[in-house]
Amino acid sequence: MAAPVLEVDALSKHFGGVAAVAGVSLRLEPGRIYGLIGPNGSGKTTLFNCITGLERRDAGRVLFNGRRIDGLKPFEVARLGIGRTFQIIRVFPELSALENLLVVTDGPLAAARTRALELLRFVNLEGLKDEYAGNLSYGQQKLVEFVRVLMRDPTLVLLDEPAAGVNRTLLNDLLDAVRRLRDEGKTILLVEHDMKVVMGLCETVFVLDHGEKIAEGPPGLIQADERVIEAYFGR
Amino acid sequence: MTLAPRAFLTGLAVLAAALALYPIVGTGYGVRAMLQLFMWIALAGSWNLISGLTGYVSFGHVAFFGAGAYAGAILIAKAGWPWLPAALAGGAAACVLALVIGYPCLRLKGPYFAIAMLGLNEVLRALTSYFEGLTGGGSGLSLPTLHATVPIYYAMALAAAGVTLLTYLIITSRFGLRLMTIREDEVAAEAMGIDTARHKLYAFLLSAAGPGVVGALAARDQGYIEPISVFPLATTITMIVMALFGGKGTVWGPVLGAIVLFVSQEIVWARFPYVHQLLFGAIIAAVVLLMPRGVLGLLQTKYRLPRTL
Repeated sequence: MAAPVLEVDALSKHFGGVAAVAGVSLRLEPGRIYGLIGPNGSGKTTLFNCITGLERRDAGRVLFNGRRIDGLKPFEVARLGIGRTFQIIRVFPELSALENLLVVTDGPLAAARTRALELLRFVNLEGLKDEYAGNLSYGQQKLVEFVRVLMRDPTLVLLDEPAAGVNRTLLNDLLDAVRRLRDEGKTILLVEHDMKVVMGLCETVFVLDHGEKIAEGPPGLIQADERVIEAYFGR
Repeated sequence: MTLAPRAFLTGLAVLAAALALYPIVGTGYGVRAMLQLFMWIALAGSWNLISGLTGYVSFGHVAFFGAGAYAGAILIAKAGWPWLPAALAGGAAACVLALVIGYPCLRLKGPYFAIAMLGLNEVLRALTSYFEGLTGGGSGLSLPTLHATVPIYYAMALAAAGVTLLTYLIITSRFGLRLMTIREDEVAAEAMGIDTARHKLYAFLLSAAGPGVVGALAARDQGYIEPISVFPLATTITMIVMALFGGKGTVWGPVLGAIVLFVSQEIVWARFPYVHQLLFGAIIAAVVLLMPRGVLGLLQTKYRLPRTL
């Protein structure tokens, strides 16, 4: 068993009396694609927020490459090599597509520019590089957000519903891109409601319900798991 | 600027030469009016640096003007400093103030930051009234007589040019783009690895320097300051309206706004002293309703012009 990239250990987060995440543990190994599923309100996005520092966890630990990252600020987590996209698109609307990417890196501007143009070409948006991101279509904005995450060359990529609202052609490109990242040795954890996407892409799936992890395993087994079926459809 | 940078730069050089020669031919009133116009350009441009770029609306920016005015006036009146180093010290004092209050206040979002800045200004006004020994309290502080309108004219012109040049340099840099990401989506900026707290603080410091310098220059020019005259809310509102009218987040928007509003204010105020308040209010309402992005902002969205306009 390889050393884990990310280890979430008994993580909990409460909002008032609601346990959004209740003692969840995950272990992600390098070069694999993981899925995180569960009904609405099961704690998927909160878990993402706790990993990336946007929310302060109440209890538990998060380790990235063996180093504790719980308690760090979001920008510090990002600089260590964890990139994320959001469920609701969060591009910078009044910055051009190219500028959306340029702002992310710290190195020399010329190198950043080359990398940014390369990434925009990768998702067929090079021709729209000077357009305000807010003027692009929903799917195009999603692609900008996706490649913006890659500017820092993260080792772990968290994708929050990458397939939602993206048409089939675009989706296939996106999924190919995710697989290519995996082949480069990166680790991907994605929240997704589209089961076809989850089943076709992920090697291991975690299932959350009411903030607890109720199942974990390869997609085929998860689909047949009684607790999972119950969580989604009721008894 | 992209169309004809040379013509643009030549135009700027001619304008600068004309303004440099103006005190020789201009009337006393004219020179004084231009001096005030320069002051407004520096103030509106400075407000734009924090509020136009990061979206953190400062409702107490006159606090930096007042802090600079008092720092400069005290150094001139009590320590016998010449006015030029005193003006630079005024800028430094405003930056120190920005550092002290920016650290806690810039964590506040939206209206809370605006209100905190408003409160800061009131606190400073109360403090300057209280510490009579240093500030003269409510009865004010008089500076030794000095006829230096023309040198102060040049100093104000440099301050206005300095703020505008600084804005240009920031807006065309990656640092400036990062300030804009805070305005666009602060959460996403953080998640992309941008240290938003540090960026906001830098922008805040830079936005305080100009008002501090021109505050000290204005104090020297007027020869007398009191708490009400250097901490008025109306000054903050005027700089905000100027920047909004011209177009926040652009290089030339605050300059344009300051020119149009200052000139129209002078004309209307001279002829219809009672109407000018009303007119000013009407302009605020019209800008917010009809072109929330200002004149240049409107042209920018329509024709996709660069922000350096």
